[in-house]
Amino acid sequence: MKSLLLLWSLAPLAWQLYTSLVTPEALVQGGGVEAGAFWTLENYRQVWLADPPIWRYLLNSAVVGAATTALTLTLAVPCAYGLQRQGGRLGWLVTLALLATAIFPTVLLFLALLQLARALGLANNLLALSLPYAALCLPLAVLLLRAAFADLPPDLEDAARLEGLNLPRRLRHVLLPLLAPSLASTAILVFLFSWNEYPIALTWISRPELLTLPPAIARIAGSSLFTVPYGAFAAATVLGSLPLLLLVLIFQRSIVSGLTQGAIKG
Amino acid sequence: MKEQRLKPTLVNSLLMLPALLLLAIVFAWPLLDSAWLSTQASSVLTGLTPLANGGANWQRLLGDARFWQDAAVTLRFAGVSVALELLLGLAMALLLHQPSRGRGWLRALTLLPWALPTTVLALGWRWIYNDPYGPLNAILRACGAAPFGFLTTPASTWLFTVLADVWKTTPFVALLLLAGLQSIPAELEESLVLEGASPLQILRRLTLPLLRPWISLALLFRLAQALGVFDLVQVLTRGGPAGSTESLALYAYLNAMRFLDFGYSATLVIATFLLLVLLTALGWLLLRRRPLELS
Repeated sequence: MKSLLLLWSLAPLAWQLYTSLVTPEALVQGGGVEAGAFWTLENYRQVWLADPPIWRYLLNSAVVGAATTALTLTLAVPCAYGLQRQGGRLGWLVTLALLATAIFPTVLLFLALLQLARALGLANNLLALSLPYAALCLPLAVLLLRAAFADLPPDLEDAARLEGLNLPRRLRHVLLPLLAPSLASTAILVFLFSWNEYPIALTWISRPELLTLPPAIARIAGSSLFTVPYGAFAAATVLGSLPLLLLVLIFQRSIVSGLTQGAIKG
Repeated sequence: MKEQRLKPTLVNSLLMLPALLLLAIVFAWPLLDSAWLSTQASSVLTGLTPLANGGANWQRLLGDARFWQDAAVTLRFAGVSVALELLLGLAMALLLHQPSRGRGWLRALTLLPWALPTTVLALGWRWIYNDPYGPLNAILRACGAAPFGFLTTPASTWLFTVLADVWKTTPFVALLLLAGLQSIPAELEESLVLEGASPLQILRRLTLPLLRPWISLALLFRLAQALGVFDLVQVLTRGGPAGSTESLALYAYLNAMRFLDFGYSATLVIATFLLLVLLTALGWLLLRRRPLELS
């Protein structure tokens, strides 16, 4: 059963890897190609040297991801703390609003956000993308961190308060160090979301050299409907997946526990 | 020391304020703006300047066969793919819950389709479905069958778009349900085993009832997301053939970016939003017998 599950999850990805590493002849004819003309790195050379090169998109996505993660955590930590300490009717209302926004399909916001970007001159600005992205990540981030604050022993903060530490210091020196695992898994999930977001990036960014990975891939997909360079496509998908693949495998424990913990407490 | 003079409620509210303000700008304002824009003519004909046109957009919507077809496509897509995801996700979660060596790795690898960008995977699926060179057709050829155009007829395109969506999002459902399984005390299951209950009986009498809040959460979340399906169809099929996979979100996008009719695009956005509210409210009411714990 487990190998079936792995086959289902990984076979489509493995096939991309295979496609990216073989010559077009090998792809079309299968086994009937002589050994020397089978494997190739040509597809990777092609996307790496394209104009703009694929590393440009990866870099853009990484920049937006880092900015989004920083902004989201900066806003989510105080909000989660306030929400957890608040409780009561107001806290319940805010939690309900966060849940509603957490399940909201973001594509329905693209039209008004596009007008906002035009009015404020935020189009074609990578860092500006992190504003809507942070908002889209905030519901999940606040819910996860609120659950983490709730897990801390209440005496701890009281003791720090008696020591005369004010709120910023209590957060900085007492509470946040204890929240490090939750902060890490929240940060990874936010980065993941930012790396994958499509409709807003598609409508805010039009200059090719500023595209993030998802719209760049979609553009590559649409550019050649008749000649189909699937080897190059596959190389692009492998390179586009690699950073996240590494992230998921390295931080597997954080991601799984972040999501499951958030679901249990949220 | 300043905070001691402030009431705790005020401090907490001030701490929440920046985040809530950004949420209001990015979620509430667009909905209000689109609702307003849906009562305006704003297209190339007006130079994209909004001009009030009463309910003309909404009248057009009611008579727009493409809107009704897209609404049907979207509903069918959401219903079928979410149902499949819940069934498969439950099976996957039960499998991932079983103690075994390398369980962490199994969970991480299973999660990969969910974690990778949809547009990237959609491009990958286009190759997998390719006629005649894609891997699925290679398998068919190896079995001696004729190649099949997975993305050529409306019916099969729709079906294989659902399959790609199920593949991509089931891991998320599985992870939510896994969280639920982890919250069920092991002693409960052990006592049922001692009573001689079969695995199927345990599933029916213990696991499913206790899993209910998580199933509800997964259902609401996936339903809302599936009703807004966009990335996958935009890259995999572009809504074709013959509009068989065109979702409401894609139609709204095309109206704004291709036909440059912002007024009508806003009308479609709001119509989709209303449909979403209606269906999630309906789902919520049906599941309300045991509401989600919010405290």
